[in-house]
Amino acid sequence: MNLELSIREHFGSHLADGAKAAEFRLGRIDPYVEICPQIILDFTGVRNANSSFINALVAGLIEQHNVSVLKKVVFKGCNPSIQVLIQAAVELGVQKIAGRVNA
Amino acid sequence: MPAQINADGLLPFLAILGRPLAAGDEVVLDFSELRRVTPAGLVALVATVVRWRREHHPMTFAGLKTCSILGYLQRMDVFKTCGVELQETFQRHEAKGRFVPVRFIDHQISAMGTDLAGCLAPGGEEYGHPMCDLYDLSWYVLTEIANNVRQHSHGLGYVSAQVNRTEGFVRLALADNGCGILKSFQDAGFKWSEGMTDAEAICKALEPTVSSKGSPTNEGVGLTLVAGLVRQTKSWLMIVSGCGVLQIGNDLKPKAVNLPDGARYQGTLVVMTFRQQNVRDYASLLHAAKTNVGLLQRSGKAIRFLP
Repeated sequence: MNLELSIREHFGSHLADGAKAAEFRLGRIDPYVEICPQIILDFTGVRNANSSFINALVAGLIEQHNVSVLKKVVFKGCNPSIQVLIQAAVELGVQKIAGRVNA
Repeated sequence: MPAQINADGLLPFLAILGRPLAAGDEVVLDFSELRRVTPAGLVALVATVVRWRREHHPMTFAGLKTCSILGYLQRMDVFKTCGVELQETFQRHEAKGRFVPVRFIDHQISAMGTDLAGCLAPGGEEYGHPMCDLYDLSWYVLTEIANNVRQHSHGLGYVSAQVNRTEGFVRLALADNGCGILKSFQDAGFKWSEGMTDAEAICKALEPTVSSKGSPTNEGVGLTLVAGLVRQTKSWLMIVSGCGVLQIGNDLKPKAVNLPDGARYQGTLVVMTFRQQNVRDYASLLHAAKTNVGLLQRSGKAIRFLP
């Protein structure tokens, strides 16, 4: 069964808190990566996010499960700036796996 | 208080605020000469007064009756946030699109960013509105720096902003009265921070993925991106922490100096002035800022976006 998570339902339309994003990933996404064929992160209705939030959510996911997790994860309803933040977060996750970043 | 606390008068003012005090020393703030003060001066003043109060220095606010900008200071909630109650003899008007009074940075960072961005760029919360790019950029820089204040400073932080429609500038300032950037690195145990100056520590904080908090809640890209957005919009940034001052201006190169007279600002102050006319297509600005610091590769990965 696919897992679809509405980010707006959990956090509202403005996403700024990296700690909350990390907690959400640990509790609501990580446990399902191995058991769900597809995970849809639905950003519909999200107006703004900052790097702190998206990095904690997405870079952490890549770091935890490797870049192959992108075969399962789909990002839905992202406005152009959220797309930029997600692309950069994926890149950060890849760099962290490669050991080029020690954050 | 000096007469002018604007771009030229800010550093000398910070040097005054940074004068060393002995335990129990009284502080007298004389407002009688004050004629002009930017949001940066206001938040630095409030953060410092709150620190002095915490350190139990007796305080006197003098010269208020003859201060020609008393009403402005009251509208900007300077005295209120300093814990001083003054009677208001004027009517408050709508601040939207004009200014953001001094505000304490609490844990509700997202809500604060939304309120402030809505105030600086009214209507910008709607996609396609002429103010939407300024709204998005303001929200981003405010929330990233406010996160830093909350996570790193171990002090209290304040924010204020102002829109100058005639000049087309938006001025944003956040100040805290905490430990400063260098101490934050040292407390995190970074060996490379040993022997560093405050100015060097500020430069280091602008490098991508340098953070004293670390993964997963702070990957150390917030301040880097704030500086990147300043460069992309050909705007102006100043960061003061301890003795160090770093400025990025028209030539886009960071210039590091020290506060005058060997002074030290206890905490961190971040000041930005954006040119409204240069804040266009926020997503492209963000993309360019990320790419320029190596946080976004042109090749891209196989990311699947659905409408």
